[in-house]
Amino acid sequence: MDMKISNDEPFIKISNLVKNYDNGTIKALNGINLEIARGDFISIIGPSGSGKSTLLNMLGALDNPNSGTIQIDGINLEKNQDLSEFRSKKVGFVFQLHNLIPNLTVFENVQIPLIGTGVSENEIEKKAKNLLESVGLKNKLNQKPTKLSGGERQRVAIARALVNNPSIILADEPTGSLDSKTGDVILDMLKKIHDENNVTLIVVTHEPYIANMADRTIKIRDGEIIEDCLNN
Amino acid sequence: MKNPFRNKTRSALSIIGIAIGLATIVALGLITGGMQESVQTTLNSGGAEITVTEANSQGGFGSSGRLNESFVEILANISGVSSTAGVLSTTVQSSSDSQGRGDGFGSMRGLSVNGIDRGKLSLVGIKNVNGTLFKEDSNEIILGKNAAESQNKTIGDTITIANTEFKITGIFETGNMMSDSGAYTSLKQLQNVTNSDYVNYILVKTIENTNSSSISNNIEKKYPDELSTITAEEQAEMINSAIDILNIASLAISALAIVIGGIGIINTMIMAVYERTKEIGVLKAVGWKSKRILGMILGETLVLTLVSGIVGTIFGIVICEVGMMLLGDSSSFSLAYNLSTFLRAFGVAILVGIIGGIYPAYRASKLAPTEALRYE
Ligand SMILES: Nc1ncnc2c1ncn2[C@@H]1O[C@H](COP(=O)(O)OP(=O)(O)OP(=O)(O)O)[C@@H](O)[C@H]1O
Ligand SMILES: [Mg+2]
Repeated sequence: MDMKISNDEPFIKISNLVKNYDNGTIKALNGINLEIARGDFISIIGPSGSGKSTLLNMLGALDNPNSGTIQIDGINLEKNQDLSEFRSKKVGFVFQLHNLIPNLTVFENVQIPLIGTGVSENEIEKKAKNLLESVGLKNKLNQKPTKLSGGERQRVAIARALVNNPSIILADEPTGSLDSKTGDVILDMLKKIHDENNVTLIVVTHEPYIANMADRTIKIRDGEIIEDCLNN
Repeated sequence: MKNPFRNKTRSALSIIGIAIGLATIVALGLITGGMQESVQTTLNSGGAEITVTEANSQGGFGSSGRLNESFVEILANISGVSSTAGVLSTTVQSSSDSQGRGDGFGSMRGLSVNGIDRGKLSLVGIKNVNGTLFKEDSNEIILGKNAAESQNKTIGDTITIANTEFKITGIFETGNMMSDSGAYTSLKQLQNVTNSDYVNYILVKTIENTNSSSISNNIEKKYPDELSTITAEEQAEMINSAIDILNIASLAISALAIVIGGIGIINTMIMAVYERTKEIGVLKAVGWKSKRILGMILGETLVLTLVSGIVGTIFGIVICEVGMMLLGDSSSFSLAYNLSTFLRAFGVAILVGIIGGIYPAYRASKLAPTEALRYE
């Protein structure tokens, strides 16, 4: 994969992005233009159904737009190319509902993104162990996710999102299913990772106080950006 | 991963379904292999190449027809013939005087007793005897190894033929299961006690490196109204054609197993993929390639069918061995364990796995990650 990094190009560049569902009757994204610098912490906020998740999925190359372009780290996310390598090398996902695989252990769940990528088994296990330690779950390695609390599950999901050293972390309402205290722990964790590793962190939320923790907040409504402001 | 067995009932059902088909393939393989081996021993026994029977008599082995004994001498003088032997065959029911050690199966069976000149035993493939040979004109008899086992008799015991007691003097083993299930005694003595002056068939051994089928044809041409001949090769061909029929049956069952097993497996795996839609979405989201997901589902399918292969193979062997035990040792037949039989069963298992797995695996690999993640 070509990874030319030039300083005059933004890390993420979205142009005229349109995403329709159901043959165009639902306009989930309606012409998004957005540039994001490397290492930024961005929050995306907006009412339910405004297109936040859709935008995040496009950024993570989980779905193809109807029109418009997305460029991340010099890579054009084009429809017909195999985007799995992009996801594997660049992206870490944290979903609202953690999406851990129930019949695998915590330890195995964290290893999944690296399996089959050429990284040695030893290396994978070492990394997974370190990450689980850093999210405070060292003693739950062989536990099944169903036995964990919501906050613990989300911490496993964070460890999984980090295991491939992503340059961008996409978190879709990572605290949505948690109480506010646990949610704060998770968010602090993400912020710390962002600060320490210079990863670009994009968090979708509909809680203004979480949105304000980011360097910059983007408000969307009906598939359009209605506000884009820097926080301090 | 233990994924293939997550839904135990469903997996077990599809394993059993395929295993039954594979068990049949293994069983037929063991049986036809055994038949093939018996053909080989018949051909290699070193005995007579041609069997001469009464023209138009029924049955290839000629025990029903009657031949004038003078033909034994006449045929011996045909060019290319090295020696001939007349054989009189009779069946004795031995249940009445069985010693009671029998298990109730073998002891009820008839024993085929054949009269032949003592000097001509090589024509039926008997080269050495444990004990001594029967003497001409005496009430002595030798038993094949299988016959001795099934009749529960050993050297020194007696067998009653036409109200006359014959003493067992020896046990022989030729490797030909047909011969080893019979008994041989003096032709003259058997003719005496059964009041016969004929033979049922004549064995003809040809000189080495002569064409036995042309000699066989000569005999038939010379005595078209009296004699009918069959060569060992023709006999082998008859058995071979029976083997062919079983092979075709095995092939048909293989095909059936592939189709039915394949459909069952497709169904099982589609259900499995459906249930794991979300999981597959996660795998895609974390960067697994479609090919990897395809391989994963296909691999799981193959695990299922290979387990079926093991279960089916064990099943097939057990069924055949139990069948053989019920038939008793007397059966002129044994199972043949050929590698090819098992390769075939596992080949079918793998084929079913690939055929049954490819579509579900393809569907899994083509799932759109966002759709899969939305799935509840
Ligand atoms: N697969 C789909 N098929 C049809 N419509 C869809 C699909 N995915 C999203 N939509 C629609 O697109 C719009 C935007 O959805 P999206 O999930 O991006 O909203 P959201 O901002 O994330 O909302 P929430 O805060 O509730 O998660 C909604 O109207 C939704 O119904
Ligand atoms: Mg959403």
